[in-house]
Amino acid sequence: MMSEGAEKNPSKSPAPVVASVADLQVHFQSKRGIVHAVDGVSFDIHDGETLGLVGETGCGKSVTARSFLRLVPKPPGIDAGGSILFRPRTTCDACEGRGCESCHQTGRVSAGCSACSGKGCSECVQSGEETLDLMQVSNSRMRSLRGDRIAMIFQDPGKALNPALTIGSQIAEVFYQHRSAEVLDAANVDVSGIDPGSLLLKRQAAQQSRTIERTLLKIPPLRSRRNQITAAVDDMVADALAETQIANPRKIMQRYPHELSGGMRQRVMIAQALACNPDLLIADEPTTALDVTVQARILELIHELQQRRQTAVLYISHDLSLVRRICDRVAVMYAGRIVEISDADQIFQDPRHPYTRGLLAALPSATQSRGKLAAIEGTVPELVDPTPSCRFSGRCPNEVETCARFDPHLQSVGDEHSVACFIYHEPPEGSGGRPTLAARSS
Amino acid sequence: MTMESEHPQDDAAAASDKLILSLHGLKKHFPIKEGALQRVVGQVRAVDGVSFDIRSGETVGLVGESGCGKTTLGRCVSGLTDPSDGAVYFNITEGDRDRVDALRDIPDEQRSEQEREELAALDEAHCINQLNEQARRHYRRNCQVVFQDAFASLNPRHLVNDIVGRPLQVYGEASGSELTTRTVQLLEQVGLGSQHLYRYPHQFSGGQRQRISIARALALNPELIILDEPTSALDVSVQAQILNLLHELQRERNLAYLFITHDLSVVRHMADRIVVMYLGKVVEAGRTQDIFERPQHPYTKALLAASPDLSDDTDTEIPTLEGTVPDPAHPPQGCRFHTRCPVATPACGWDVDDVVRGLENQENLFDGLSAVNRVSPFEAQLTFDNEASARALADTLHSNAISASMREALEEAVVRDRTINIRFNPAEEVELTERAPGHIAACVLDPAAR
Ligand SMILES: Nc1ncnc2c1ncn2[C@@H]1O[C@H](COP(=O)(O)OP(=O)(O)OP(=O)(O)O)[C@@H](O)[C@H]1O
Ligand SMILES: Nc1ncnc2c1ncn2[C@@H]1O[C@H](COP(=O)(O)OP(=O)(O)O)[C@@H](O)[C@H]1O
Ligand code: SF4
Ligand code: SF4
Ligand SMILES: [Mg+2]
Ligand SMILES: [Mg+2]
Ligand SMILES: [Zn+2]
Ligand SMILES: [Zn+2]
Repeated sequence: MMSEGAEKNPSKSPAPVVASVADLQVHFQSKRGIVHAVDGVSFDIHDGETLGLVGETGCGKSVTARSFLRLVPKPPGIDAGGSILFRPRTTCDACEGRGCESCHQTGRVSAGCSACSGKGCSECVQSGEETLDLMQVSNSRMRSLRGDRIAMIFQDPGKALNPALTIGSQIAEVFYQHRSAEVLDAANVDVSGIDPGSLLLKRQAAQQSRTIERTLLKIPPLRSRRNQITAAVDDMVADALAETQIANPRKIMQRYPHELSGGMRQRVMIAQALACNPDLLIADEPTTALDVTVQARILELIHELQQRRQTAVLYISHDLSLVRRICDRVAVMYAGRIVEISDADQIFQDPRHPYTRGLLAALPSATQSRGKLAAIEGTVPELVDPTPSCRFSGRCPNEVETCARFDPHLQSVGDEHSVACFIYHEPPEGSGGRPTLAARSS
Repeated sequence: MTMESEHPQDDAAAASDKLILSLHGLKKHFPIKEGALQRVVGQVRAVDGVSFDIRSGETVGLVGESGCGKTTLGRCVSGLTDPSDGAVYFNITEGDRDRVDALRDIPDEQRSEQEREELAALDEAHCINQLNEQARRHYRRNCQVVFQDAFASLNPRHLVNDIVGRPLQVYGEASGSELTTRTVQLLEQVGLGSQHLYRYPHQFSGGQRQRISIARALALNPELIILDEPTSALDVSVQAQILNLLHELQRERNLAYLFITHDLSVVRHMADRIVVMYLGKVVEAGRTQDIFERPQHPYTKALLAASPDLSDDTDTEIPTLEGTVPDPAHPPQGCRFHTRCPVATPACGWDVDDVVRGLENQENLFDGLSAVNRVSPFEAQLTFDNEASARALADTLHSNAISASMREALEEAVVRDRTINIRFNPAEEVELTERAPGHIAACVLDPAAR
């Protein structure tokens, strides 16, 4: 049956910023020198929006994404600078999560800064809101954010699942941890008189999943309801899996990750990420290995989550047609830098950066005659100790001498549209001239 | 099924009367083995009766969701595996192909002595599964395969020089300095050069490795290359390079391609004709333009709708297709797509298994099931522990929990004691019919017929 699809978020009102990346630099130590994998990346993500991050393989998309959860291995990784500010949300007091004017109908508000009680101080960058620098927070704080406030769906699902636990218990863990109130509700357990703090058990560092279930069920009034609760969670897990259109969810729940195909593991991971209610969902090519039919379903699920919680989504993909379809804004990344960022419609109608233009022209289409696709020759360079230069020089059809000697910076070319290229802004003095679009060979 | 509809004609390519390849009812079933004795308990029907042709110089695109049998079909065609039934013919004229079709359609025991001899002669000359050793080698040279994962298919411990030169060596085509010259020529054809001869696969990018695979496939001057997802692992920029290269090579060498992919924009760009597969069967085939502009089969339509395209209207929703591809070990009756088809009719082959498929997520419905007596795929008696359970299932079968067309196909759901007898209107497999010249589809909904 054709059903509700994943259409874009139509509202354009400037929703509050939930995360802000500023001059992020992540490098890697290698035998040949320092690889500048991410080299000065800045962007904001707003509540409820989908920001697409596109670019060729190796340009730094996954490293950027993993930095949000501090999952870049160090060493060889090096934090070379910059920050990722994240503002966790809490339930709106005024409406108790139902949605009201003061919370933009989202039912959620930013938490107040504890250091200045909302007046604004250096810790919260004068915002008065609780602001965490994800590059700096303690390990225990990071663990409590992971999978709760920030969820991630990985490109390679193999490594993200615990090989020693059944699929059912991995997903059940999420429900016990993050949605205990709903679990008790579904199990028809009367929670009045129970200390809510004990219900909202959080994972302790290095604690195994099954212990959470055990701890939860140890609370006296709940122990007697053990069967009811496990049955309720099993139902929720089965529903979460069924939503991803996996066949026979109840059978899958008893299996271990290695017994599933890649596509099935990907769906399990998506079910897990969607089971919690994150403020920010980072999706790193979640559907690249899946069929278009399954992809459409997964996108719809992500969209539903977004509607439900105003979750912001950072969607990484190299499928431009897909990104155009589902993203509100798009950032184009090349060799560790953002070279163009704009509203999605704008960037596809009027791409400015030669790299963005190149990517779009390379897409196969029915109208383009065979053998005449505009390929971008060469590949993304791996930047070992780079000197100042436009990273796209060497592959750029518009390149002039200046491009190989100076760094272009992201600058505005119009409403919310920024480009890093000397075609659009003046090179520094003493350079050898300025590139133009006309130089484009084809 | 008429001969015409089984092998759609293509005006553009009709000029060449030689078929590089003709598949006749190709089947590949894998036994499912269980237990210590490895008893065969069933068959995965990965490819289940597929027929189509490829002409020289032509590109045929093969599309469908994962698990529908594309790779298995490619392996049968390349001779990497033997089909369970049916046959692959190579280098055959259309006239001979028609003869083969006619002869093979006669049941074995009804063929006359003369007909048997005629078929044997045609098989010996063209059927890749019955060629003698020498002819088989000849076929292997003429039909090469390029896989999706170039890294896995290139030996990591061999130098490029060995990888690309090996086929020439094995077939005694060249040796010594001539071998090196020929190898360099091949590398140059795919945009690499002599500087790459003495490197290992891991020293190349994904796109370069795919070029090496292509160079190796070209070494013996084949007439047909099977491309199994050749660009799925590549960036659009590099994909564009490879697609341009493939086209150029095709023009220069009059190569035919069987282009397997799940990326519809790639196949639209590259293929002259498209074959759409679902659960081991062809559901639609025709000229690329016809398939994209006038898709006939609901499955093709669903695939097209779900594939994002740069010309899409971004405000519309991406339509989704419910459910998953059913287990190919137990394909649905009638039209195999009926479990997911958004426009399924009562005549589409509803069967007893659909009762379980459709209701397995409903709690407790089958909890008290104690015995099943299957009379046919369309009729069975289900016995429960108690009468209430049997009644509950009967009530559900008459409710909105199952689709209206399935309910209409349900002839009987009668409870006697603890047993419910379920019987559906039997349905035949849906055959391919011609919708327009060279355009066939297998669906009971035929707009022309209404
Ligand atoms: N653990 C690591 N050690 C060394 N270098 C690394 C490591 N992880 C990533 N890199 C390098 O950082 C750069 C960016 O990698 P990243 O994985 O972010 O690319 P990507 O844009 O996600 O590509 P893809 O589209 O293939 O996923 C690459 O040059 C890569 O080789
Ligand atoms: N060697 C094998 N043994 C058993 N089943 C197999 C084997 N190879 C493929 N299959 C099954 O056959 C079906 C078709 O597989 P495949 O041809 O790889 O599909 P596709 O290439 O279209 O994704 C799948 O259900 C697959 O699991
Ligand atoms: S014109 Fe120069 S600055 Fe602009 S993208 Fe090309 S190389 Fe970079
Ligand atoms: S025969 Fe046609 S209408 Fe019926 S299920 Fe198959 S595709 Fe759908
Ligand atoms: Mg990546
Ligand atoms: Mg395959
Ligand atoms: Zn509110
Ligand atoms: Zn403060």
